[in-house]
Amino acid sequence: MSAPTTDEELVVHHKVVQVGPSRARQTAVAIALIVIGLFVAIVLASTGTHPNAKFGFDAGGARVHVPTLSLPEAPFCIVVGALIVLAGIYHLVRGFTPAAMRWVGSAVGVLFLLAFLAWAGTGGRTVQFTSLLQQGLFLAAPLILGAMGGILCERSGVINVAIEGQMLAGAFAGALLGTVAGLFAGIVAAIVVGGLLGLLLAVFAIRFLVNQVILGVVLNVLALGLTGYLFDAIMANNSNGTDNPGFFGPAKVPLLGDIPVIGPVVFDQNYIIYAMYVIVIVIDVALIRTRWGLRTRAVGEHPQAADTVGINVLRLRYQNVVLGGCVAGLAGALLTIGSVGAFTKNISSGQGFIALAAVIFGRWTPRGALGAALLFGFAGALQSVLSFLNPPLQINSNLLGMLPYVVTIFAVAGLVGRVRAPAADGEPYVKGSA
Amino acid sequence: MRSVMKIAAVAALGSLALTGCGSKPGSGTSGSGSSGATSAAKAVGKKINACMVLDTGGVDDRSFNQSSYDGMKAANKANPNISIKYVPSNSGADYTPNLTKLATGGCATVIGVGGLMSDNVKTAAKTYPKVHFAEVDAPGTGANFYGIQYNTAQAGFLGGYLAASLTKTGKVGTWGGLNIPPVTIYMDGFTEGVQYYNTQKKKNVQVLGWNEKSKKGTFSNSFTDQNKGKSVSQSMASNGADIIFPVAGGSGLGAGAAAQASGGKLKIMWVDTDGCVSAAQYCKYMVGSVTKNLSGGVQAYLKSSADGTYPTGNYIGTLANAGVGLVDDNNSQPAALKAELAKVKAGITSGSIKITSPSQPTS
Repeated sequence: MSAPTTDEELVVHHKVVQVGPSRARQTAVAIALIVIGLFVAIVLASTGTHPNAKFGFDAGGARVHVPTLSLPEAPFCIVVGALIVLAGIYHLVRGFTPAAMRWVGSAVGVLFLLAFLAWAGTGGRTVQFTSLLQQGLFLAAPLILGAMGGILCERSGVINVAIEGQMLAGAFAGALLGTVAGLFAGIVAAIVVGGLLGLLLAVFAIRFLVNQVILGVVLNVLALGLTGYLFDAIMANNSNGTDNPGFFGPAKVPLLGDIPVIGPVVFDQNYIIYAMYVIVIVIDVALIRTRWGLRTRAVGEHPQAADTVGINVLRLRYQNVVLGGCVAGLAGALLTIGSVGAFTKNISSGQGFIALAAVIFGRWTPRGALGAALLFGFAGALQSVLSFLNPPLQINSNLLGMLPYVVTIFAVAGLVGRVRAPAADGEPYVKGSA
Repeated sequence: MRSVMKIAAVAALGSLALTGCGSKPGSGTSGSGSSGATSAAKAVGKKINACMVLDTGGVDDRSFNQSSYDGMKAANKANPNISIKYVPSNSGADYTPNLTKLATGGCATVIGVGGLMSDNVKTAAKTYPKVHFAEVDAPGTGANFYGIQYNTAQAGFLGGYLAASLTKTGKVGTWGGLNIPPVTIYMDGFTEGVQYYNTQKKKNVQVLGWNEKSKKGTFSNSFTDQNKGKSVSQSMASNGADIIFPVAGGSGLGAGAAAQASGGKLKIMWVDTDGCVSAAQYCKYMVGSVTKNLSGGVQAYLKSSADGTYPTGNYIGTLANAGVGLVDDNNSQPAALKAELAKVKAGITSGSIKITSPSQPTS
């Protein structure tokens, strides 16, 4: 082993075989693309009410005024539709690699959306594009944070159905402490209370091996009942003294906040949103590139193996579940002191479950969950905007509400491939049992 | 082991669902002991047991359940011979068991709250012909089923006229919690009020969020999600609306938050109750409240019952009998506008102004 040549002999060359999707699926996706493209180029292009669609880009706080764009709808839709059809034909004949397909899929989604907005904007009312993006991020933000809380738990092998309850408790604590002791105290309280619920989840799931799905459901009911009771007992009759925290106003980042369109959407937000950016990036990087991340994944995939190399499985799970609770608690704070400035019963209204869906649709990765949450949030904003935009054909708001989930199912089935949870997700670890 | 866990999981979920149904009667008889001391109260007529089945919001929802039960409390206070109690419902599955329990449990009259349980009340009224039923927000039929209804389109009409007069951008907005008649009747009235203003003044104020003809509009799909409410309101504001009328209970509070975030550029109107009382933190952004006097309707029904005659048919709250109305918040109405609104109100009452909303209670 002294000569470098022997070292080279020891290297085993793995032949990497890129297994593409099956021919049938490729054909199906290609045909779907062509159909979508034709729909845009023919149906959307021909049914606009007016020839031009107006897009507005101004939003509160931006210093740079962007003039309203008047877009000739029919030519735009034809071009966009043709592009999508071309992508479909290419996929049918040559086939995109799975990695490229992901980008192509996203691009097709965005193009379709722009064409659709142009179509909807022909009814005479201006499509406020920047505001639409702002509202999308606003609605997505609690989902993103909630999903991050879920990922922390699930990647280390504990199912977290209790995101909803953690958010609700965080929202309550944020509003209460925010009123009594100031907004920043409210944030801390939300994080602590979320963490406490996380600890409860951890103790019962890890120490007492309770079925984690049931446990999560129970914790949600607990949070709903407890906050409801406390709301009646403390807040209902003294809302000025206990439930009037106000909320964080936007704090514009100098320079960046003045970039047209992007500035007001991304860099003119409140502190919790900025914290959210940091949390997403930190979790994304740490999960893949740090020792903690490697260990977390090991514990979530194969706790026995992790244990044999000396990782304290249970301690790491405790840590991560509590941490996940803290992040979900912060998501709750976003609902009250980050947004509306008052707690009401069941203010989370099921958003914790949508966050859980984002975790799963995002394949338990921070980026995927971020994408899914943004998609959900954006679709929610689109739903309300379309309802008063006066599009050529009024679409039932329930159908629109369904849209993000349909899109996600197609995206997951057609573009992402098989979804696999961490192998030990939901499996309690008992030393020496396996 | 795994299958055992699965069975246990299903059993536990099932029992969770079941415990949700087993609601116990609330201790609503409070006050009857102390009210004997109040000098204003006069025990007249026969003693009656009045019971109420609440909808899922609970007795302290700051909305229709609370207002309805307030009517019970007021009736009890005025006449201690009326003893009162209520049962909350945790879900729609509770309606019939609750109604049955009260009807067989010695209640002389059972009042259901909210239009959602109207079929259940109708069935119960047939099953227990000796018990007098009444329901808030549903039409009554037969000898022992009284309807306490409100033509809120009339009040919404006034609200629409007010908003159209006050808007500076020429656009007003309205959105609801769900696309159901008790919600959209307000939106119908609001829209018609704006249109009436437009024809009277030759203006073109636009309504965002509701199309009365196609019955499509903007909804937050929730009565609790404030964030969605804020988002919807801000979207409307970015499309130019400067007065917004949310018809969505707790979700509507989000409109208040949107007004606060806009620094007061956006104004709102409140629904059902006087917003400056029930959503006081947003009072300063309110130009008015479209109200519905639920407690008055319930109290009048109980008073008549205790006096000896259970009314039959329907009570319909209107502008004429002050069952519905428009409350001025923050002195938003200049004298001229106040006079105009009075004229519009007189027109609605006399029938010279026709409201066409199909959701209006008839009979």
